[in-house]
Amino acid sequence: MKTKFFRVGFVHVSFILVLSFSLVSTIQAGVLDTFMGEKGTVKISGGTAHIPVMKEAAKRIMTVNSDIQISIAGGGSGVGIKQVGEGLVDIGNSGRKPSDMEIKKYQLKMFKWAIDGVGVVVNPENKVKTLSKAQLIDIFSGKIGNWKDLGGLDKAINVYTRDKSSGTRDVFWKKAIDKGEITDQANFVVSNGAMKSAISNDPYGIGYVSVGHIDESVAPVALDGVVPTLENVKQGKYKIARGLYSNTKGEPSGLSKKFIKYLFSHEGQQIAADKGFIPIQ
Amino acid sequence: MINRSMEKVVTGFSWICAMVILGTVLCVVGYLLVNGLGTINGTLIFGETDPVDALLFRKQVFDGLFPAMVGTFALVALSVSLAVPIGIAAGIYMAEYCRGALKRVFSLFFDVLAGIPSIVVGLFGFSVAIFLHNYFSSRIYPCLFISALSLAFLVLPYLIRTTQVSLENLPEDIRRTAPTLGATKLQNIFYVLIPRSLSGIVSGVILSIGRCAEDTAVIMLTGVVATAGIPKSVFSNYEALPFYIYYISSQYSDKQELLSGYGAAIILLVICGLLFMMAFFVKHRLTYRALYRP
Amino acid sequence: MKLIDRFAEKFFWVSAVLSLAVTILIFGFMVILGLPLFKGGHFFDLFSKPWLPDHGIFGVYPMIVGTLSITLLGLGLAFPLCLGCSAFISVLGPKKLGQIVKKIVQLMTGIPTVIYGFVGIFLLVPIIREMFESGSGMCILTASLLLAILVSPTMILFFSDSFDQVPQSFLDAVDALGGNNAQKILYVILPYSWRGVLTGTILALGRAMGDTMIALMVAGNAVAVPDSVFDSARTLTAHIALIIAADFESLEFKTLFACGIILYLFTTFIALSVRSIESKSWGKK
Repeated sequence: MKTKFFRVGFVHVSFILVLSFSLVSTIQAGVLDTFMGEKGTVKISGGTAHIPVMKEAAKRIMTVNSDIQISIAGGGSGVGIKQVGEGLVDIGNSGRKPSDMEIKKYQLKMFKWAIDGVGVVVNPENKVKTLSKAQLIDIFSGKIGNWKDLGGLDKAINVYTRDKSSGTRDVFWKKAIDKGEITDQANFVVSNGAMKSAISNDPYGIGYVSVGHIDESVAPVALDGVVPTLENVKQGKYKIARGLYSNTKGEPSGLSKKFIKYLFSHEGQQIAADKGFIPIQ
Repeated sequence: MINRSMEKVVTGFSWICAMVILGTVLCVVGYLLVNGLGTINGTLIFGETDPVDALLFRKQVFDGLFPAMVGTFALVALSVSLAVPIGIAAGIYMAEYCRGALKRVFSLFFDVLAGIPSIVVGLFGFSVAIFLHNYFSSRIYPCLFISALSLAFLVLPYLIRTTQVSLENLPEDIRRTAPTLGATKLQNIFYVLIPRSLSGIVSGVILSIGRCAEDTAVIMLTGVVATAGIPKSVFSNYEALPFYIYYISSQYSDKQELLSGYGAAIILLVICGLLFMMAFFVKHRLTYRALYRP
Repeated sequence: MKLIDRFAEKFFWVSAVLSLAVTILIFGFMVILGLPLFKGGHFFDLFSKPWLPDHGIFGVYPMIVGTLSITLLGLGLAFPLCLGCSAFISVLGPKKLGQIVKKIVQLMTGIPTVIYGFVGIFLLVPIIREMFESGSGMCILTASLLLAILVSPTMILFFSDSFDQVPQSFLDAVDALGGNNAQKILYVILPYSWRGVLTGTILALGRAMGDTMIALMVAGNAVAVPDSVFDSARTLTAHIALIIAADFESLEFKTLFACGIILYLFTTFIALSVRSIESKSWGKK
């Protein structure tokens, strides 16, 4: 009696295991399977914070199917929104929510697939690692011009900023310095990656960058006591947060639709997490 | 005497200048070689993909310079094939058929074209692309074709000028021989004048190739992107070596990427250096061949 | 036979006209696309106002100052250097060494500007930053130094070609009078070839003004009007490269065409000046 029960139970359990395993693996394989047999191109441009995730996703898709060409350009959130609206690209990334005017003008469909923050960064050699909001506003407007006023070396502060089309800049300007002035002596860099390189090469520089991009080459600056880390953004402690959006003109179709679905899939969300962002699922 | 010391000063100054110039070149090239020579290997170019698969376009290459090199090559091939026929033909026109005030006018315009900054040419190419996109076909956007077209505009004056100068520098008696024997103007041009000035013309072509390979400003505005793989058609985006170097220099994510930038710089330098030397070599050897062919 | 001749001639003519058309078209596109700027009636404001997009002011004055400072400083640094070097190549250095230097300089003309920018960012910028302790190292001085190296080969080759064209009889005359090489250069060669020197300088000026990558990579691109050589600055060319990403319909973008027009007009001016210098020398011969 017992052995029969065991045997039946064993068969049942193993059947369930096999079934669930095959289901799971079908789901896993199915994610990239949708790209098999497809041909065509997907043009992506826009937010520079998204680029590492885009590159990894493109790499995996193009490895599975080399007939697909995915081209990725930067330019900033403003560029992404504008270019997708004008039909120059298939997917436009933005690091800020498109404004109502933009949504109406370009008939955008937005897809938020991760959450990110914008953090102030300085060179790792810099002793100044914490600032208050008031100090930040004064630094970026040019009122405080020397590190010694903040407890650092007697050196001029080199401010780095992004151009107007940057979503990172937009979020920083609105939430971190309350729409204050940014000094016109500031150096301009063209992307999150460029900001990182500039700050890591300049011991007296200060700038702002996507939290997901922060690594050992730059040092995050605590704002009013809260360090810009992934954890703090997730818990809502660090207020300067933004969503990472991929936008299309109208409903996405064909390869673009599959690409966006891939971003929301388990694998896509894992890529976002690996690159330092908070996946939306 | 004043003369003695002046001579010493002037000579000394010129020596210093020459040494400074040499020293600078050595610094630039040496710095690149020291930092980047170690990175030149198969991985730099092909990433993790097998070279044979990559070369046969069976598999895409990620994290390697191969797509950029293919992009540059395709760009150069396309733009030179667009520019050479028009440029040489226009040069022939200037040297053989054009005279007087009209020639001065044409000459002036070509000089202006030669001096236009590359970014302005790029801006023009971008505007043309947007114009075509809005009024002709929405499938056209800044792409390989537009970039090649813009680069063709950029090198057109070089081709025209070198062709014109090479033809005009031929001695008068060579010019007059064939017509006296009954050849038409066209026959004279094709059978006598062009073969004799081939060296100059070909060196002009090679220099244009070099110019197209190294230019960054034009392609930045007309379709090059940071990641695109091997371009599938002339209406798609592409990568290119000079843009890769610029991109890496401003936004490298780790030491490895930075080193690949050095490697790319060395490769680009070698390509341009080779093209340049080839142009010189051709200029001297082809003259020999053309003149002394039995 | 006649038909082929006529056809070929037409083909050559059409090619030349096409090339001419391209030149004119470039200018035409700039003007037409930049038209909205002129319509506002505030055309000249463009060239005198600062760049404050948040306030709706799109003046390119800071960029003009940036271009002029970097170009003129770069040329100022390069000119004596090139003069000395070409003197070395043509006259003052040993024959063999002069030839070697000339060959190296010829090779230098093939170095792409993006390479200079690349080396500049990693080698020169930290040096300038530490040496002068002012600013981030991305400033007018750095850009000018690199620009000087960029235009030097062209200038050196141009100068030394002009020096070589001095008739041998003049040089022999100096020798016959017991003069030395330095006197040859100063009193005979330079005065005779001043036109070639001027032409070379002007062409280098055009080249320097039209360069984009060096300024884009090492000059900092700040929008303020620069006060000192250690300030970050933006040139017209770098401005075009940076703003190209903006909204095509916006006024901001249209200012790019104004920059294009300025650069184009300057190019034309250079071409005309070179022409007038050379035509005078032809008259002399």
